[in-house]
Amino acid sequence: MENEQKIDETISRGLEIVKEAEEDRLMTLSVGPQHPGSGHFRFTIKVDGDYIVYCDPDPGYVHRGEEKMCEYRNFIQNIPHLERPVIHDSTNITYSYSLAVEELANIQVPLRGQYIRALASELNRQVYTLYWLGIYGIFLGHSTMFMWPIGDRELFIDLLEALTGARVTHAFNIPGGVRNDMPEGFEERCLRQVAYFEKRLAEYEDIFYNNPLFRQRTEGVGILTKEDAIKLGVTGSVLRASGIPFDVRKAEPYDVYNEIDFKIQYMKTGDSYARSMVPFLDMKESCQIIRELLDKMPKSGEVRAKLQPNPKGPAGESYKRVESGRGALGYYIVSDGTPKPYRVKLSVGSFRNMLALPFLLIGSKLADMPSIYWSLNYWPVEADR
Amino acid sequence: MTSAGGFIKAIESGSKHLLIKRFTLRYPEKKLKFVGDGYQFDPKKGVGIAGSRGRHILFHDKCTGCQLCAIACEGIAEAIGMVKVDEQWKHNKKSIMPQIDYGKCVFCGLCVDACPFYALYMTNDYELSSFTKEHLIYTPAQLAIKPKYDGDVELQIGVRGADHG
Amino acid sequence: MATAPRDFRFGNFVGSLIQLIFWILIIVTLVGLPLIFIILFYVPLPPVNGEVLTPYLFFSMMVDPTRTIPIIKFLIHTDFFRVAVFPGFTYAALLAAATIFIERKFLAKMQLRIGPLYAGKIEGILQLIADGLKLISKEIIVPSGADKLIFWAAPVAFVVTAAAVIALIPVAPGWVVADLDVGIIAVFAFLGFFPLIALLFSWASNSKYPFIGGLRALHQMIAFEIPFILSALSVVILAGSLNLTDIAIAQHSYWFIFFLPISAFVFFISSLAELERIPFDLPEAESEIVAGWLTETSGMIYGLIQLGTYVKLYALAALFVILFLGGWAGPQIFPAEIIPGYTGEKIYNAITANAIFWFTIKTLGMIMLILLPRGINPRIRIDILLHTGWYKLIVLAFINIFVALSLVYGGILGPGGLLSV
Repeated sequence: MENEQKIDETISRGLEIVKEAEEDRLMTLSVGPQHPGSGHFRFTIKVDGDYIVYCDPDPGYVHRGEEKMCEYRNFIQNIPHLERPVIHDSTNITYSYSLAVEELANIQVPLRGQYIRALASELNRQVYTLYWLGIYGIFLGHSTMFMWPIGDRELFIDLLEALTGARVTHAFNIPGGVRNDMPEGFEERCLRQVAYFEKRLAEYEDIFYNNPLFRQRTEGVGILTKEDAIKLGVTGSVLRASGIPFDVRKAEPYDVYNEIDFKIQYMKTGDSYARSMVPFLDMKESCQIIRELLDKMPKSGEVRAKLQPNPKGPAGESYKRVESGRGALGYYIVSDGTPKPYRVKLSVGSFRNMLALPFLLIGSKLADMPSIYWSLNYWPVEADR
Repeated sequence: MTSAGGFIKAIESGSKHLLIKRFTLRYPEKKLKFVGDGYQFDPKKGVGIAGSRGRHILFHDKCTGCQLCAIACEGIAEAIGMVKVDEQWKHNKKSIMPQIDYGKCVFCGLCVDACPFYALYMTNDYELSSFTKEHLIYTPAQLAIKPKYDGDVELQIGVRGADHG
Repeated sequence: MATAPRDFRFGNFVGSLIQLIFWILIIVTLVGLPLIFIILFYVPLPPVNGEVLTPYLFFSMMVDPTRTIPIIKFLIHTDFFRVAVFPGFTYAALLAAATIFIERKFLAKMQLRIGPLYAGKIEGILQLIADGLKLISKEIIVPSGADKLIFWAAPVAFVVTAAAVIALIPVAPGWVVADLDVGIIAVFAFLGFFPLIALLFSWASNSKYPFIGGLRALHQMIAFEIPFILSALSVVILAGSLNLTDIAIAQHSYWFIFFLPISAFVFFISSLAELERIPFDLPEAESEIVAGWLTETSGMIYGLIQLGTYVKLYALAALFVILFLGGWAGPQIFPAEIIPGYTGEKIYNAITANAIFWFTIKTLGMIMLILLPRGINPRIRIDILLHTGWYKLIVLAFINIFVALSLVYGGILGPGGLLSV
């Protein structure tokens, strides 16, 4: 009864807003795909003076039918195809797929392969977070904070290029392990570049995170309380910024993550500043994880389980998730005994974080729109699949 | 006045960077060095050998025309088609070899993984632009040429910052 | 694929040379000579050694260049030269163009990259010419429903107003286009036009994002005009005159920035807000309102607005130099005579050259200081900006006026004081 009343109230308030817009009191802005601050995504907002009163996200501009296309390819051919939704976080999105297929087909991955997989995943997490940080800087008008992260991202892309063979489109994880072993001299190179990168992180703090203008713009803006975060079902750094220390690597450890000792970084305030700080702290923690992984890795061994050319498993289903740059990324795969999957469902963090966007934007100022929108770590291509 | 302190630190950090070397790689005068010879695959061990994934190289004295590379690519990019060649090889009865369309290839390397005869590898060459789409289709004869790539610049980390040579 | 050039044929080469000579002769006789005669009839040129200047005398002057000096001296002191070349529009436009290039390279160095690289042999030095040619050749799209008259007139008005501010700024003693006794008030009167132009242009664009941008520009510029005027007022109290030349002369022993640092700070922040530079570039906030009130500009309209913006940058930096940094005061480093022992007429004046040199150095330093916050700060939000402009800066400016008043009436500065001129 109460629910119905609430729904009625929402509908009537919505109709009121539409009526006000038609009487020319509100202004309808389309932060559409043709906007420097939106990516391939559109949301319509209605503005009353400087305050946003209505927001309607409109995803779907980049929908390609990824999940349907998976049904026409066998398990190994799906890898270059499935890394495309988030191409700069490609290792993580194929990691989860490989884990799910391995569970389906009962494949055992050798230990060194698991370590290299985790290492590539951590390096890729740095790449994605730096890209995100760069775009966040330019959304707030800070062009230096765009150039420095994109420049430092080269350090990691260089490493991934030596490891996997391609700068961004890695196609490295495969059901059964990874496709090739580390090249020579990789460990020293990796340690040297990670040490240099940690010095650069201190510079980011000086010029961006402690800059009074940045703090004024993001502290107290778009506050997402703990209860609301759980109710809306957000995930990833957005969840950790609202005070809930949840990380899939700790909650459901996969591969070798139960042997790595690291702390979950979280902040309690839940505003845009916290949401922009948590990935930064994650990056610092990632450097530690990389060092630990290189330390504990077995010095030699197989990296890939030997499989038949068209691997297949018994009919069944499996669900696995990993912690990607944007949150928990899960795959639900149903197989019917053939080499091609029957159904692949890709559950991404961006699509779930998108629910928080109208929730946070309504009632905030127009100038807060970029800082809230991008702090929700939303990647349009992944949300549309 | 903590905000004044914050501003001063930001100005200090920004001005410090006027002394750090520029990071840009001045391509095409300088090109990056790659470790190794390109991505290769060992079918006996079932694992690849780390390398950069660029243009393919086809060894005519090993290719048997089994079409496994074309079948592997069918689900991915459909960039490999088998064509008849004029050469006569003992191990290639049908005289067919792969031709690769680089307009469609995504450089994933699964064709290299599929070849059981050590005939298809990938090399370091990534400068493949041309003026027409037809020139992007590399025939088996073109794929047999070993590319010459002489990049020698590496990312160096020094006292005054990291830079590319 | 470019076509291969045709083979070289000597006959074609000679033919093209003859064509070139032919056209030069035609243009010289049909256009050049009448122009010379018109100039000689209507422009009053000074007599040289008692003779009227004729083309034949002019050609004979080319033999002995020192004879052209009186003509050049005469031309330099005409009004047209002052308005168009120095210290007027060409000087400002050259400095503005240099500023654009320096800004891109300076920011690039701070961001660890190169900036413009390919235009010109040396590190992209011809980038501006390339940009200018590109902007001139683009199509100007006028949105439908736009108010055409204002849409075309507002950018021109923008450049004209910025140039009008240039006209009031003295570069060297005696070298100012318009020597007004109420110089400072005239400068602020001109600066008061800019919010109006921004608002008119954004309204004439007939589009939502320019509308929001124009309102933001209006709020921003009006909010910072009062601290601007108040901080300049404290300088006027110390100098005792509203004339910009007198203010610069009053600082030849002590620069005012040492006595009025708060005022200099308030003036600096207000000029950043007037110029819409980061951190105050809300009217053109790219990620929120596309390009603000400049959204519908394209081609040469955008070029005119950029020119106006950078000319205004030079004007405000020069104003800061005159008000606080002593104008052209500096140690005399130019020798009294270039060619010792020369007794004829000369156009070189050591004091003027020294003044121009120091003024340019200080203005360039000030411009670099205005360019610096772009690499360091993100954009500010409108409510924080209004709070700063209306509360904090006005309070600081008033504090500084009291400081200035106490310095004058305490007998330290000003006429009859301890440290007076």
